[in-house]
Amino acid sequence: MTGRRRLGLVAAGATLLAAAPLSAIFDSWTWLLQSLLTVLLIAGAAVGARTLRFPTWAQILCMIVGLALALTWIFPSGKEILIPQPATFAHFADLIRQAGEDTRSYGVPVPDRDGLHFVTVLGIGAVAILVDVLTAVFRRPALAGLPMLAIYSIPVAVYLDSVPVIPFIIGAAGYMWLLVADNVDRVRRFGRRFTGDGRDVDVWEPSPLAAAGRRMGVLGVLVAVLLPLAVPTVSGGLLSRWTQSGGGVGPGIGGGGGGRINLFAALSGQLNQTATVNLIKVTTNEPEPFYLRFAVADALTTNGFSNESPRGPSLAEGLPDPRQAASQANFAQFRAEVEVSDALRQSMVPLYTYPAEVRDLEGNWSYDPGQQVLFSGRSTTGEQKYSFTYQRARYNRSQLRTAQPLDRDDPLRKYTEAPDDPSVENLVARLIRNEDSEYDKVRAIYESFSAKNGFRYDVATESSGNATDIASFLKNKVGYCQQYAAAMAWMVRAAGIPARVAFGFTRGTAVGNGTYQITNKNAHAWTEVYLDGFGWVPFDATPAAGVAGSTRTAWAQDVDRPEPTASASAGPTGPDTESSAAPTVPQRPEQGNDGGGALAGDGVVPDDGSWMGAMIAGGVALVIALLLIPAMRRALLRRRRHSATTGLTATAVPDGDPGPAGTVTDIVVTSDSVRARADAHAAWDELIDTMIDFRVPVDPTETPRHTAQRLIRETELAGDASEAATLLGTAEERARYARRPLQGAELVTAIGRVRSGVARSATFRTRMQALLLPPSVLLNWRLALGEWSTRTAEAMTRMRDSLSRFSPRRLLSRAR
Amino acid sequence: MTTPTWGEPAGPLTSAEFGAATQAIMTNIEQVIEGKSATVRLAVAVLLAEGHLLIEDVPGVGKTKLAKALARSIDCSVRRIQFTPDLLPSDVTGVSVYNQETRDFEFKPGAVFANLVVGDEINRASPKTQSALLECMEERQVTVDGTTYELQAPFMVVATQNPIEMEGTYPLPEAQRDRFTARIAMGYPDPRAELAMLSGHGDHDPLNDLRAVADAALVRRLIETVRHVHAADAVQQYAIALVTATREAPEIRLGASPRCTLQLLRTAKAVAALEGRDYVLPDDLQTLAVPVLAHRIIPTADAQLNRRTTDAIVSEIVHRLPLPHDRARNPYDTRDGRTSYESRGR
Repeated sequence: MTGRRRLGLVAAGATLLAAAPLSAIFDSWTWLLQSLLTVLLIAGAAVGARTLRFPTWAQILCMIVGLALALTWIFPSGKEILIPQPATFAHFADLIRQAGEDTRSYGVPVPDRDGLHFVTVLGIGAVAILVDVLTAVFRRPALAGLPMLAIYSIPVAVYLDSVPVIPFIIGAAGYMWLLVADNVDRVRRFGRRFTGDGRDVDVWEPSPLAAAGRRMGVLGVLVAVLLPLAVPTVSGGLLSRWTQSGGGVGPGIGGGGGGRINLFAALSGQLNQTATVNLIKVTTNEPEPFYLRFAVADALTTNGFSNESPRGPSLAEGLPDPRQAASQANFAQFRAEVEVSDALRQSMVPLYTYPAEVRDLEGNWSYDPGQQVLFSGRSTTGEQKYSFTYQRARYNRSQLRTAQPLDRDDPLRKYTEAPDDPSVENLVARLIRNEDSEYDKVRAIYESFSAKNGFRYDVATESSGNATDIASFLKNKVGYCQQYAAAMAWMVRAAGIPARVAFGFTRGTAVGNGTYQITNKNAHAWTEVYLDGFGWVPFDATPAAGVAGSTRTAWAQDVDRPEPTASASAGPTGPDTESSAAPTVPQRPEQGNDGGGALAGDGVVPDDGSWMGAMIAGGVALVIALLLIPAMRRALLRRRRHSATTGLTATAVPDGDPGPAGTVTDIVVTSDSVRARADAHAAWDELIDTMIDFRVPVDPTETPRHTAQRLIRETELAGDASEAATLLGTAEERARYARRPLQGAELVTAIGRVRSGVARSATFRTRMQALLLPPSVLLNWRLALGEWSTRTAEAMTRMRDSLSRFSPRRLLSRAR
Repeated sequence: MTTPTWGEPAGPLTSAEFGAATQAIMTNIEQVIEGKSATVRLAVAVLLAEGHLLIEDVPGVGKTKLAKALARSIDCSVRRIQFTPDLLPSDVTGVSVYNQETRDFEFKPGAVFANLVVGDEINRASPKTQSALLECMEERQVTVDGTTYELQAPFMVVATQNPIEMEGTYPLPEAQRDRFTARIAMGYPDPRAELAMLSGHGDHDPLNDLRAVADAALVRRLIETVRHVHAADAVQQYAIALVTATREAPEIRLGASPRCTLQLLRTAKAVAALEGRDYVLPDDLQTLAVPVLAHRIIPTADAQLNRRTTDAIVSEIVHRLPLPHDRARNPYDTRDGRTSYESRGR
């Protein structure tokens, strides 16, 4: 029992080591301390139970009680004294629910949260019990790898790209320890190990089986490394790190996690890079696309704008209909294909607004309908190639002007929260004092950011983005897109209209055919204003001259271009302003694009479906064809054997050539006899294959006569079939051994009779197998494969032998 | 005394003649030995294969009766030697006696100078006496005092013996055993045959009623016919494989000799001919393996300790050895030399 107790302790240690990969998930090490206590308590319970010679079930019970106690002590509800009570379990359920919420709201690494800790400790404790039971009770330590693997899989599931390697090695070492400890214990139970020369074998001395073990290990590693390469969807890890070019500008915005990132810092980082790096190539059938957008900052405090972590349902659940958000706008559907370079690795996907369907995006992505952001907790956009259809909202000024102010208790009111700053409030109040509609108020604020008004674009502006900086921008009027966007959003908020800052890329450089090349210089921020009935309407206050690829919308035209602005403001209801974000699109907006088939971008959709069907059908047909190959091969073989043996050249040898010692080797060799022999052999081969097909054993030591007799006996052939089998045996026997083969026998009919006779005595399953998957063909293939591998192995051995001639060791031994 | 020699051409018989003649001999013998047709057939086969027969069994099962019935059925010279412990070699081979009248030594032929020599209880004689048979059995000649005397054809020694475990027996030397083509055991008769024997032997010995149905000349022609039986290459290979297997088997200390291979094939030819075939089948070799091989091999001490009889060892070899094929001539055989079902286990 000492061995078992020791094994139990080793199991506890191995479990703790196997938990090492969890360190990648947590910010701090509290979980480890808690897990350590729990595992120790469980191991102690197990050792105690074993010392007292409890039966197995009682040992397991003891460990479970240990786990429950540990959980109670570490996560008390405050109502119990050491012993768990109903309230404790209610508290546990609460913690688990809390953990569920936490997993949704926190990116990795997660801070110390009671719920998450509880789940972690519970899981590790359960694994500890399982490992202990498998190792010490059932003596199957190899199986204990499975629960340990469960711990392994958690970080892998959370991080897709980069999982730290060291903790995994530690975990693997724990498993190895467990296996070794068990094996040593197993050997020790037999007594002492000693070598041939009478001395004891040290525990760590390699076993004679070590070479075999090493070979298996190498093979296992090779398979483990090579197999994923063959699976196309698995990427990442060491290999792809090597195969990908390590250059580029490093991780882009928010690389690695969906947590809170400073979008402003990332934006200025992109813009201030000296090198120009191609980030995105986008192709769209929209004639004048607006900006690609991937994130918003919608919380304004004294620290400036910041973004909340996006949250929402998985992309697989579909995207929301934009008509709910902007009920009064018209929509037109377009399609875009995006190719993101390796340099842009971020966890938010650049899209045109109101995406309707996103395809070919690898990884797990979720869509936040409020922020209109497609994000992921672990996947990034690096080297992704995806396509999407989107609904472009269209509205003109007169429509926008109909937007009503939000109700006082509208939830969107939270987007009007702004820090108190009298200077900003005064400025806004002055700007909008003559405006009636919401849109006109926004326009007034928007137009104030003009060069005429003294604003100047300069990307070199240092700014922390906090409230004071934004306020000071309004005074010194020098900045770049982030200041413009943030300042305008604040001012719009100050006017009581919801606003936020959107991040993305300007249109980029057109390279023809609706394709735009977007570099880091196209990184951009702009303002989005919520107008009731129209959703979030973009306004780009940044001077168009300052931003590469900048574009303007009809409702917010470039304030620094006097003429259109003048005409626009002069005739707001004029027909030329009846324009949209995509001015060249036919004016009549396709209302209610539910049946989107009228649009060019949709032409592919039905095709896809039929292709899928065809591919599935083709795949099924291929599988069936593959499965039928053995049966076809068998049928072909049978036909060839049955076919006449015409075209045989006979070598006629004079009969009765008397040998020297009176022996006569008068084997008759005429064309007929050669043919008869060949026929008999073919028929016999067919009979043997039939026997194999119907699972009648074939004995290579048996003579044809015996085989035929046994076939008759075992399959209870009678009448015709029995005679046919005997005839086949005689024909083969005479073909092989007699001077004259049996001629003129109806071997083909005989084969048919034997086959039907044998089939009669076989079970249905055997019959079906003989028909569909003939064992004779499979056996032949297997034998051929075996022969081939033997030959290969022999060749390898020969090669190794010839190579060993050059081995320096040989010279050494000769010198001795 | 006519002494036809072995090389004398007698001309083979047709299949029908051969069948009739051999059937007559076998039916004749079976009048005396009831219910042992396989044993009788084997005895005749050994005669036609120009071999010698060793009948080994416990006392009283009809060994001597079989030997005598075989001798009686053929009208030729028959001598019987009762091997006793005090028998001398000269009693077997013959001796030169000083003739007072001619004042010269005169050769008195021993018991072996006959077509059929029945050696009863051969292992009761001392090895010295037994070895007197060595020369005549293999070379069909006797050398006494420097003079070599040819023996008549056919020449066959039919010896009986008790198993060596029986008291008062000397085991046959290996050389002697190797000269016997086949060793057969009579076995106890089945109840029906034993009943027939009781009624038949009640008033008189049926052996006395036995008349000869063949003569030496006919036997020589029968032997000539057997020599013409065809043994295909595959069959010869199989014979060699069988004998080689006894030499390589781990439980055998001394395997069978090349002489054994020769005799095995010869006997197989005789058996084939007796069945009306003019070609040998591997089946013939398989049936003959135990009678022809088993008495020649010496098992290892281990095998003996394990009480493995030589019969069991040989029949196991037969069941283990795959049949050689001559499939090169078969244009339909798509497999390579080793056919697939050859390499399949049971």
